[in-house]
Amino acid sequence: MKRNEGYCYLKIRKCPFYIWIIRGLGIVWLVFWAEVAVGSRMELEPRAFGISIGVFTVSLILGLFLWIRGNLKRKKKSL
Amino acid sequence: MDRRDFFKFGLGGAGLTIGESLTGSSDSDSSLSGNHEFDHPWWVNRLEEPKLPVDDRVYSRFNSRKNVFGSMVKYYGMKNLKELRERSQKKTQRYYRENRPGYRLQDRALADAGWVISRLGGLNRGTRSWTRNFVRTPQQRGVEEYKGSLGEAAHMIKAAARYFGAATVGITRLDRRHINAKERGKRIVFEGVEEPYGNKEKLVIPDKCKYAVSMSVQMSLDNIACSPTALSSAGSSMGYSRCEFLVAGLTEFIRGLGYVAIPSVNDLGSSVAPAVDAGLGELGRTNRLITPEFGPMVRLCKVLTDLPLAVDKPIDFGLLEFCKVCKRCAEACPCNCLSFEDEPSFEVKGPWNNPGHKAWFEDSPQCLAYWQESTSGCSNCLRVCPWTKKDKTVIHQIIKGASAKIPALDAFFTSMDESFGYGRQRSARKWWDLNLPEYGVDTTQGKG
Ligand code: B12
Repeated sequence: MKRNEGYCYLKIRKCPFYIWIIRGLGIVWLVFWAEVAVGSRMELEPRAFGISIGVFTVSLILGLFLWIRGNLKRKKKSL
Repeated sequence: MDRRDFFKFGLGGAGLTIGESLTGSSDSDSSLSGNHEFDHPWWVNRLEEPKLPVDDRVYSRFNSRKNVFGSMVKYYGMKNLKELRERSQKKTQRYYRENRPGYRLQDRALADAGWVISRLGGLNRGTRSWTRNFVRTPQQRGVEEYKGSLGEAAHMIKAAARYFGAATVGITRLDRRHINAKERGKRIVFEGVEEPYGNKEKLVIPDKCKYAVSMSVQMSLDNIACSPTALSSAGSSMGYSRCEFLVAGLTEFIRGLGYVAIPSVNDLGSSVAPAVDAGLGELGRTNRLITPEFGPMVRLCKVLTDLPLAVDKPIDFGLLEFCKVCKRCAEACPCNCLSFEDEPSFEVKGPWNNPGHKAWFEDSPQCLAYWQESTSGCSNCLRVCPWTKKDKTVIHQIIKGASAKIPALDAFFTSMDESFGYGRQRSARKWWDLNLPEYGVDTTQGKG
């Protein structure tokens, strides 16, 4: 929000549609690997569990990193 | 409403009534039999004929004497057999001294004890007797024998089979060529009699027994995963005892309805061939049945009956194509007894195979010899099969479905399966701490 000579400007940034698709796919990807990890643990398959929990964790960290970076970039722009 | 319910109450239900009244209850179409709750997953197709052909000029009834158990001396030679047994005994004692997990007293006692119910029956003996045990007949109850449509009868039999412990159940018209010609020195013959019977020379199956109810019983994956140890043998022996209970229960039930029923586990004839015909699974590289739900992790048994039943059709879930590229069972076989050929063939490996049907025939004497070498049997081919899964995660269903529909992916799935560590031998020591469910199996698996 910017204040200028008694006016308030509200800037609404519209996220492109493809970003929403990417976010959606990202969540499906995470849920999928979480499910495989939980299932593999129940199946007593240590290697399958290790791989799936690994993919899940790396994807989650990567996703968080991109999300935070994107936010910081946007904040910088709007300052 | 899911797909099953849709067929059950919607189109399927309508088809059942219209179909049966128009056709006078044809017994050859399971889609008219109202058995959809016993159906396989959606990615399994029904076929008119099993995928692997039979050469009608050659295929005939087998003399069970020719299988490895029946001709051990002939296949190994007395001297070799003796040496093999002595080596096995020495090794067994050494394993006891070393207290080797999977070969300790408790492991072997568990494997032996698993047979306990199985031991109560044999060919036309005990729990597998061909005559009624104690169940009251409709006559004794003062009512008529059971009467229902083919579909209703099939549905009822399947429900009863499940209740007695069947993991999956299918019905087929009995192909007499699957019944052994001879067993334990007795001829097995079909005659126009009312009741089955046996005497010193022959065992008589009534001509009117036209149906075979084929059933599978789950084996504990957690046990077979310890192969080759006594704990994996316990998986087999428990499977046999559960088969015994299942066939004993189902035969008495059918007799209670006023019909003839003949129970069979390993005796009487092939358990695999009627299972293929009844659509329980397909014949794999192991030269054994592989099912869509449990892979090869099942023991089989069957009941012959004259109760008229709607029959099921054979199935195709892409297994033949899968086995052509996978070969993991052949690689894991410690005695090289399984075929590495790309294609199944009519060419048998030896007199222990019954010629006339296409298969990946195995070198059976090698297999049995390894049972002695290992001192406690072997199930490696079952353990490593990529179709052996507990199905606790959706990924298995996705991959099975994809493999059934897109065979081009089979090689990729096989290598991924290995990379993910499936099929590795598990610790026999840890087995005792697993806190397993009843009988060591998840009885809800594969039930939609
Ligand atoms: C004897 C026997 C053996 C012998 C070998 C067979 C032989 N040729 O001597 C030995 C002891 C080595 C053996 C080993 C095993 N066996 Co075994 N065996 C049997 C038994 C008792 C008789 C089979 C027989 O007579 N074969 C001789 C001729 C017929 O063999 P074949 O021509 O090669 O035909 C084979 C298949 O092609 C099929 N078959 C036969 N006729 C026809 C016809 C058609 C049209 C089709 C499609 C198929 C088919 O069945 C035969 C199985 O051996 C059966 C029980 C039964 N009644 O079926 C269990 C049975 C076949 N075995 C079974 C199993 C699981 C095993 C093992 C994995 C051991 C274990 N841990 O449990 C190993 C596997 C070895 C391998 N992959 O090769 C299961 C298979 C279950 C399944 N999922 O299919 C059965 C059905 C026992 C049971 N009650 O469940 N076995």
